[in-house]
Order: sequence, then structure tokens, then C-alpha cells
Amino acid sequence: MRNAVCWGGALVCLSAIGFAMSSYHLELYQKLLLVATLAVGFNFLFGISGQIAFSHIAFYGIGAYAVVILTFKLGLPLAVGIVGGIAVSALLAAMVAIPTTRLEGFYLALVTLAFAQLLLVALGAGGELTGEDEGISGYGLPDFFDIPLTGAAYTPVIVFVLLMTLAVILRLDNSYFGRACRAVRDNPTAASAMGIDVARTKVIVFVLTSTLAAIAGMAYAFVNNFISPPIFELDRIFELLFMIIIGGTGRHAGAILGAVLLYSIQFLVEPLVGKFHPLIYGFVVVLVILFLPKGLIGVWDDIVARRRRAAAPGKPS
Amino acid sequence: MAEIGELLVSAVASGCIYGLMALSYLLIIRPTGVINFALGEWAMLGAFAAVALGSDLLVPALQLPHFVSLVLVIVVIAAIGALTEILTVRPLIEKGAPLLSPVLALLGVLVISLQVGTLAGGTEALPAPPPFGFRRVELGVFAGTPQAFYVIATAIVVFGAAWLFFERTIWGKRFEAVAINRRAAALMGINLRAVGLLAFGGAGAVCGIVGVLTSGGSGAFYQMGLPLAIQGFTALVIGGVGRVEGAILGGLILGLVEAFAARYLPIPSSLVLGVPLVLLILFLLVRPTGLLRAREDGI
Amino acid sequence: MTGGAAPLLQVDGLTRRFGGLVAVDDLSFELGAGEILGLIGPNGAGKSTTFNLVAGALAPNAGTIRLEGRDLAGLRPHRIAARGIMRTFQHNMAFEGMTVSENILIGRHTRMRHGLFSVLAGTSGARTAETAAVARAAELIEFVGLGDWADADVGTLSFGQGRLLETARALAGEPRIVLFDEPAAGLTPAECDRLSDIIKGIAGRGISVLLIEHDMRFLMPLAERVVVLNFGAKIADGAPAEIERDPAVVAAYLGDPSGRIAGTAGDA
Repeated sequence: MRNAVCWGGALVCLSAIGFAMSSYHLELYQKLLLVATLAVGFNFLFGISGQIAFSHIAFYGIGAYAVVILTFKLGLPLAVGIVGGIAVSALLAAMVAIPTTRLEGFYLALVTLAFAQLLLVALGAGGELTGEDEGISGYGLPDFFDIPLTGAAYTPVIVFVLLMTLAVILRLDNSYFGRACRAVRDNPTAASAMGIDVARTKVIVFVLTSTLAAIAGMAYAFVNNFISPPIFELDRIFELLFMIIIGGTGRHAGAILGAVLLYSIQFLVEPLVGKFHPLIYGFVVVLVILFLPKGLIGVWDDIVARRRRAAAPGKPS
Repeated sequence: MAEIGELLVSAVASGCIYGLMALSYLLIIRPTGVINFALGEWAMLGAFAAVALGSDLLVPALQLPHFVSLVLVIVVIAAIGALTEILTVRPLIEKGAPLLSPVLALLGVLVISLQVGTLAGGTEALPAPPPFGFRRVELGVFAGTPQAFYVIATAIVVFGAAWLFFERTIWGKRFEAVAINRRAAALMGINLRAVGLLAFGGAGAVCGIVGVLTSGGSGAFYQMGLPLAIQGFTALVIGGVGRVEGAILGGLILGLVEAFAARYLPIPSSLVLGVPLVLLILFLLVRPTGLLRAREDGI
Repeated sequence: MTGGAAPLLQVDGLTRRFGGLVAVDDLSFELGAGEILGLIGPNGAGKSTTFNLVAGALAPNAGTIRLEGRDLAGLRPHRIAARGIMRTFQHNMAFEGMTVSENILIGRHTRMRHGLFSVLAGTSGARTAETAAVARAAELIEFVGLGDWADADVGTLSFGQGRLLETARALAGEPRIVLFDEPAAGLTPAECDRLSDIIKGIAGRGISVLLIEHDMRFLMPLAERVVVLNFGAKIADGAPAEIERDPAVVAAYLGDPSGRIAGTAGDA
């Protein structure tokens, strides 16, 4: 019961903030919430399960395009569009994951890289259906009990997607399945000896996180009611990866911290470096990998651990 | 018939570019096991450097003869490679970090390189004058631009040098030794640092050559790095990661499939970009070790 | 053989070739419930290969491995674990980024029967299983003597402690059989004694133990029965005292450059 109150409270607070913002800041806030959603899911795939995959943004795009194409190009009901989009994403994710699980780690990286590029090629050549390079616009959600779901009124939908993703990931992580994922990451041979079906675990994680990314993509589609291929380019996956690394690989708090920092800072440094903030991020990520391998959250952990040791000396750490 | 001759020349020229990119990956993967995704961007930097040095764009004061700028570009990009190795890869390898760490750090270098290239070169495509002009060259049934033949000739020279390096020089043997067993190689007295440095510097040099060659044909463009990177490791996966011959074989196969698919397959031209990607995925799933096996596998 | 009960594990005609080399040659032996069986032999005798065949790391070319009548031969390691055979690793394969408790909890993976839907829904079944797992892990940590180290990072353990962790982790799966891969290797004499007591405790609870071992000082007092391999084939099968005196066994070891069987009656 207390749990439900916490989550409900978070939903209300995070949504309410939106009403206090100008429309410019509101859009940034909504996109920030979605980036944080992607970061949490990607962190589970890459940081906790150890799968190097470059397809997370591609599935974000697949979710967005699927719901828009099914609902507004093919005229199906919205609910069908959503469920259909989830099904398509899960199916594609399974098609990518199942053959690659028996290959070494870097092969998954290459296959997902190729898959992400292939998606962009397909979108660019999809004619009327995908809108090609111009993308698709001019659609919108139906009103929810006479409330138009635009602007600040749409924020609760995004917050819901974020909290749902976080809840799913946290539940999985704090269970035997989460332990199995870490075991597969750290030592697949030992994991197998302990009874963990390594291939099956990897496939489940890949399909699940990719589908969560697709759901976030569906939410994204209605932020501006506009989607186009450049939104899902490979630069975005590198950015997402850097958020995880700088925040702290393998830590949920690290993922959110990295997402919030890197997403917000780009607007703060814009007056100085214009659109070249990735240059700074590139340097920071190299420095973090060299000198702070546990990320910023690791720095926080060390501070906390030092305080704890000062308070209760003598226990083995 | 003449049409096929022309198609073959341009396909082989493209294939040579892909093969050279594959070679640059191979030079690093063999001794260190690291996949350097930044190589595509280094080729892009090479292309912009070629434009800056060889034409009056970017740096109006400089307009050097082609072969001078070629040498300078090779030196500059090789230096970038060496510097990257010393600053980002070596500390991680010597610290005992997992192999993933340098790969991720190199993704950071990719982004840095891309941003620097865009800052320096701008977002417009810049033409570079082809060193041998625009006349059509004919060699029997094979015809094409001078640039295409120049690319093929250069690739022959580079691959010849690479083959000689691995087969006939002591440093090439050291590379192979480190590739087979790093620890044993170190115990035998091979200087791992020198091998790493040479690997990255050599890969940089090859990328520089790719940059010069492509800029002469299609100019320099800030987004040219990623397609080159993908084509490069597609060629490597097709040909086999184990040896130099695999790189050029994979490159030629990719070039030929791409050219003939674009010309004869009934698919819209915008989907042709997908051909190398489909080929890559197919090979990764069906034969990830590529067509040729590494020397130590006994072939 | 203990009592007159049917053997828990029955290996029959097990064969494994590597190219032209026959590493395990038509091997048959049995293991009873709660029995401690040692598998010994000179270098290259096929002990490790046999171990890997039973553990599922290798598939046999011929033969069966029956656990309570059901053939496991050729099953992958995770399925073997699910059937009730857990193993340790000679070089201690702990999960590096995690604590001692977490490592042991991973050993319990096959006993967590609730599916992912239960995990996501947070059902009481899922919660009960998790609580029970944590409690059992705590028991096992005490059983092997790592009580103070429950929350320690595995990187801080000594090699001997790591071996205890391997043991606790294998037990967490509530196995019928535990396979020990050269458990005495790398341990001090005191650590060996402690491990020996633990293994006796395991067998005392009805869990069978199969261990391959080079160190005879460790193995002979511990094993109830010993199977001796040479060039992949069984040359002896009996109580330690009989084995020590078996001329075929002595010949096999004396033919081995490492010399006589250390730790036995003939050792000075």
C-alpha cells in the first residue's frame, strides 16, 4: 500500500511540474523524461546484463513509427496501434537476439549497429508509409474525456511510461533474474554451471528492454506530433551510452543521473559551444573511462562508504 | 560488354576503399583485440586534411602538390592514431581493464573526431580536385575515371606493403605473435607498447590514405565517416578477421555485390544503401569468422 | 556401495575422443547416495574429461550418465544443474562484481521456480521464495565458515575462502550430487582439513560427492571409494586401502614421471 502511494505521488509531482513551465521548457522536460526512460532500460541491457547493443534508439524509433503508421496511416484504432507496435518491436527484437546469443559480445554490437542503420535506410525508402526523409506529421491523440492530450496535459502519459519502465526494471533487478543477468555478464561459464540458461536470459533481456524502448518511442511520437529519421540516428545511441558510462554503468541512479546531466547541460553550454556539446561529452566520457570507471555515482558511493567506515570502524568492508 | 567493364572498374575501386578500411581495422584488432570504431572518422579527417592542403578551400594559403599533401595527410592521421593509443588505449590495457573499456573509450574518440572534423570542415561537402584530371581512361574493355584506377593502383601498393610487412618483416612477425598469445609474446621479449603504437599509427596511416583517395573522387563530407566504418568492418567480416588477404577479398566482394545489386536488382536506389548492411548481418549470422581463416587455424 | 539401494548415479560405457586421442575409454562406475567417491589417476588419465562429461561441459561420443535412471549425457551445464548436479571450479570462478551472499544466491537459481510474471507482479510466492533463498544462503555461509564475510566483495577473499564460497554456492542449489574439481589445489594444510570436514558434513546430509583430485593426502582419508583411471580407462575401483596396494595402480603411477602415489603407505 505504501509502495502504491509513493509511485502515485511521484506520478503526480513529476506531472504537475510540467504545468509550471513555459511551453519551450515543457517540451525539453518531456524529452528529458523520455531520455531518462531510455537510459534506465539501456542501463539494464548494457550495464547490468553486459550486452553491447547499439539498437536501443532504433527500437525507440520502431515504437514511434509503428504506432503512428498503424493508427494514422493504416487507420487502425489507437489501442491496436499500441499493441501492434509492441508486438512488432518484440518480434524484431527476438529476431535480432536469438541468432546472436551464441556469438561473442562484439558480434551483437556489429549486428545491432547494422540493424539500426538498416532501419534508417528502410525509413528513408518507405514512400508514403514512412514519409521518408520528411517524416510524418499532422496527427494527434484523441481527447481523453474531453481533455486534449497536448502540452502539460500530456506529461502524465510520459511520466507513467518512465515510472512503469523503472518499476519493471527495478523488480527484475531485485530478483533471481537480475542476479542471473549479472552472473551472465560477469562469468557466463560459471552462470551456466549454476543452472542459468545463458542464451535464454540474454534473449529475454534484449527483447524486454527493446520493447520498453519502443513503448517510450510511442510516447515520444505525440510530444510534437512529428517523427522523422534524423531523430533516431546513431549519434543518439552514442549519447545514450555516454550518459550511462558517465552516470555510472550498471546503476539505475547512475543512468538517471547521467541522462539528466547530459541532457540538461547541452542547453547550458549552448551559448559557448553551440551545437558542439558532443565534443565535450566525448572528452568527458574518455576521462571517465580512464579515471572514474564507476562513473559519477561511484564517486558518490565512495563518499558514502567513507562516512560509514568513519562511523563504524572495524567491520570487514 | 563495355558497360560491364565500366561497372567492374568502379566496383573494384570501391572495393579497394572498403578493403583498405578493413585493413585498418585488422591492423588494430590482430595485436590488441580492440575494435576501433573511430577509424571511419579518421578517414573523414584525412579527407578534410587533403582538401585543406591540396586545394584553396579551408586554408587558402596552402595549395600543395597532390603527393606532398598525401604524405602529409598520412603523417597527420598516423600521428592521431599514435596519440590516441598512448593517451586512451595503453593506460587501459596496462591497467588490466576489460577489453570493452578501450572500445568504449574509442567511441568517445569517434565522437571527438567527428565533432572536430565538423568544426574544421563545416557541414557542406567540399570537393577536392582529382590528381589525374577528369578524362576517361580505357584499359582494353575496362574503362573508368582516372581516380578509379588511381585508387586501385594505390590499394595494390598498400596491400602489397601490408602483405610484405606481415610475411617478411620482423615487426610483422611480432604482430602475429602478439595476436596469437599476448602474454607469451611479452615473455619472449616483444615490446607490447611498440606493437600497440605501430598498430594504431599504421591504422591511422591507412585511414589517411582512404581519406585522400575518397576526397579525390567524391569530396570531403562531415558525415562520410560512418558509412566508411560500416563498409570497412563489413568487408572484414566477409573476408575474415585473421589476415590481410581477407580484408581485400571482403572489400572486393562487398564492392562487387553493391555495384551489381545497384545496377541490376529491381530495388529502389534508396534501398541500395542497405545492401552492405544486409550482407553484414547475413555473414555475422551464417559465417562470422569470414571466408578466410586466420593463419594459426592452419590454412 | 552404501547399503543395497540402487546407485544414484550410474555411468555406463562413457567414451570421449578428441580427434585420434581417446580421452575417456568405455568408462563405467556408480555413485551411491551420500557416498564420497574419488576419481584419481596419473596426469592425462582422463579425470578432467570425465568430470566435464558429467558436468555437461562436454558431450560424450558414447555411453550414458544416469541420475536415478534418467540419462543426462550430452545435456548442457545449466540443465545438469537443474537436475541436481552442481559443481565447483578448480580456479574459483566467483562472480567478481558481487558480494559473497549474492554469489551464493546465484547458486540457488534452479530452486527459484516462480516465473518472470511472478517476479514482475511481486506475488507472495515470489517474495516467499526470495526470503527463503536469503535465509538458506545465510545458513550456508555459516556452514562453510564465511559468516563474517557475507557482505564482503568477493575480490577481498583469499583463494582458500574463495574455495569455501564455491562450495557454499554449489550447495545453494540443493543438489543431489556435488562435483568437486581438484578442491585441495591451492589450499594450505589447515584449509584442506577444514574443507575435508565440510565435505564429510555434506555427505552426512545425504548428498553424494564426486571429486577428482591429485593430492592423495587429502583424498585418501576422505573418500569412501576410489576409481582409478589410466589412459582413459578404469583400472581399479574400490576402497582407498585396497587401491593403495593394487599393483596395477602402483604401476600406473610409477610409470608416470611424477613418481609414486604421494601420501600413501609407501611414501617415506
